[in-house]
Amino acid sequence: MKSLRIRLEHQGYLFVLPCVAMLALVLGFPALMAVANSFSPIWSREFTFTLANYKRLIHDYVFWNSLGVSFFFVGGTVALHFLIGMAVALALNSEIRARRFFRVLALLPWTIPDVISGLVWRYMYNPTQGIINYTLMRSGLVDTYVEWLASARLAMPSVILADVWRGYPFVMIILLAGLQAIPKELYEAAKADGASMIQEFWHITLPSLTRTIVVALALDTIWQFRRFGLIYTMTRGGPGHMTEIFSMLVYKQYFKFFNFEYASSIAVIMAVILLLISLPYLRLIVAGARE
Amino acid sequence: MSRFKAENLFRGTSLAWLVIGFLCVFNLGPFMWMLSTSFKTLQESYAIPPTLIPQNPTLSGYDRILVYGNFPLYFANSTIVALSTALFSTFVGLLAGYGFSRFSFKGKTLLMGAILSSQMLPGVLLVGPYFKMLAALGLYDTRTGLVIAFTTITLPFSTWMLKGFIDTVPVELDEAAMVDGCSRLRAFFSVIFPAIAPGMVATIVFAFLLAWGDLLWCLALTTSESVATVTLGLARLVTQFRIEWPQLMAGSVVGAIPPILLYLLLQNYLIKGLTGGAVKG
Repeated sequence: MKSLRIRLEHQGYLFVLPCVAMLALVLGFPALMAVANSFSPIWSREFTFTLANYKRLIHDYVFWNSLGVSFFFVGGTVALHFLIGMAVALALNSEIRARRFFRVLALLPWTIPDVISGLVWRYMYNPTQGIINYTLMRSGLVDTYVEWLASARLAMPSVILADVWRGYPFVMIILLAGLQAIPKELYEAAKADGASMIQEFWHITLPSLTRTIVVALALDTIWQFRRFGLIYTMTRGGPGHMTEIFSMLVYKQYFKFFNFEYASSIAVIMAVILLLISLPYLRLIVAGARE
Repeated sequence: MSRFKAENLFRGTSLAWLVIGFLCVFNLGPFMWMLSTSFKTLQESYAIPPTLIPQNPTLSGYDRILVYGNFPLYFANSTIVALSTALFSTFVGLLAGYGFSRFSFKGKTLLMGAILSSQMLPGVLLVGPYFKMLAALGLYDTRTGLVIAFTTITLPFSTWMLKGFIDTVPVELDEAAMVDGCSRLRAFFSVIFPAIAPGMVATIVFAFLLAWGDLLWCLALTTSESVATVTLGLARLVTQFRIEWPQLMAGSVVGAIPPILLYLLLQNYLIKGLTGGAVKG
């Protein structure tokens, strides 16, 4: 009996081996190489341990700027994805006609590459030829051409709005699934007690959705930290460094300035931040899988 | 009681329709603008103020990318790379998902945790070293190199999604089949496979969408026109001195068609697959 169990254990390893080996070779190894690089002198052929890159970081305005920009971008997009996603999910969960049709429509922007959404919005934001200024001027809301992507103040909010279009549907669809899983009896009981819609939302909907919300926010945060194509096609991090999120900064350091070691140190900081932020999520999911 | 209900329903639905109205304008507006521009002449795309509907509809934007440009090639490359990634990642993920779901072994939780956390490694951390590795192996600037890179992005998701689907099939079922003399493989194909087929479709579509939409790895790991993808082709068109919007929007329409079509055809599977894990755990 015992030997059978041991044999079975070995079989388990066999099944997971290809996956683990691939991830170790193509994710684990490059990640370790990047960490090693980040502790090497810049443009060096041989590895000698140094903290020079990290010391340089501390005094690099562009790095600190990018840290702020990244948090603003991720915070702004995730918050708006959540708010709009929740509103649309609640609407699609109510008893309206053609719910299925609208649900299909709702997820549509999420399916296309972020490169394409970046391009379309870039043209819509075009000061003179774009549809956005045209609409705003026609309706009398502004009286001059607004430089959406070229203005230091407006560039980031504009990029965030373009990303909200592409990104909120994913959060919405997860929240909607969570809403649909809430037992109807809870609402009927509340209605019988004369609860208002807002009371229902606070006392039934939100508490039942806690887990779903945590998962949706965590997944979205992870994705938003990694976003690249949207910024690359819309602003390339400009004007100046106003929209230079981490992925854009690291990309430039790698492939524009060829500062491999310095780029690695920024990427390592980014990975550490991402891991720390997602720690509660990792715990939740792994604990759930253990049961 | 019935009065309360009717009142609630009315308030609920009118508000709901307001949100739905916003959804239609917000979600469809950019698509309409993209479509409309793709049928404009170059001259009209520079018009101030812009026109909403093409005054002289033309296919010259599509002509510029499909006949005079390399988009048919980019399209083929994207299809090959995304499809290979989706199938490969689902196959390897299925093996691992089965192993994690059906066996208990030392270090299982640790391995699963490691696979999940590997998603937190940002692409930009890996592209540099990975670029050097591919160059050393002679796989730089090849579709194979891209497929391997994309698979590592999608594999953690595929594994976790598929493990979740296999978990929903009671172990007793495949054990019963094995007691009846089925081999593990036959038990898998006769019991588990039919039950998780919809989940597998979801996994394949999800991996395809991720691979189709990527730009970072294409930029970092390829240089030649012959292996360029649609996203790369579009990104390169922007770097030119003057942006020709009808051509660029026509390319965007072409690049958006496969994901949208795949989604419209398989949306039920995809939505169930995406949301299953988040709601149940």
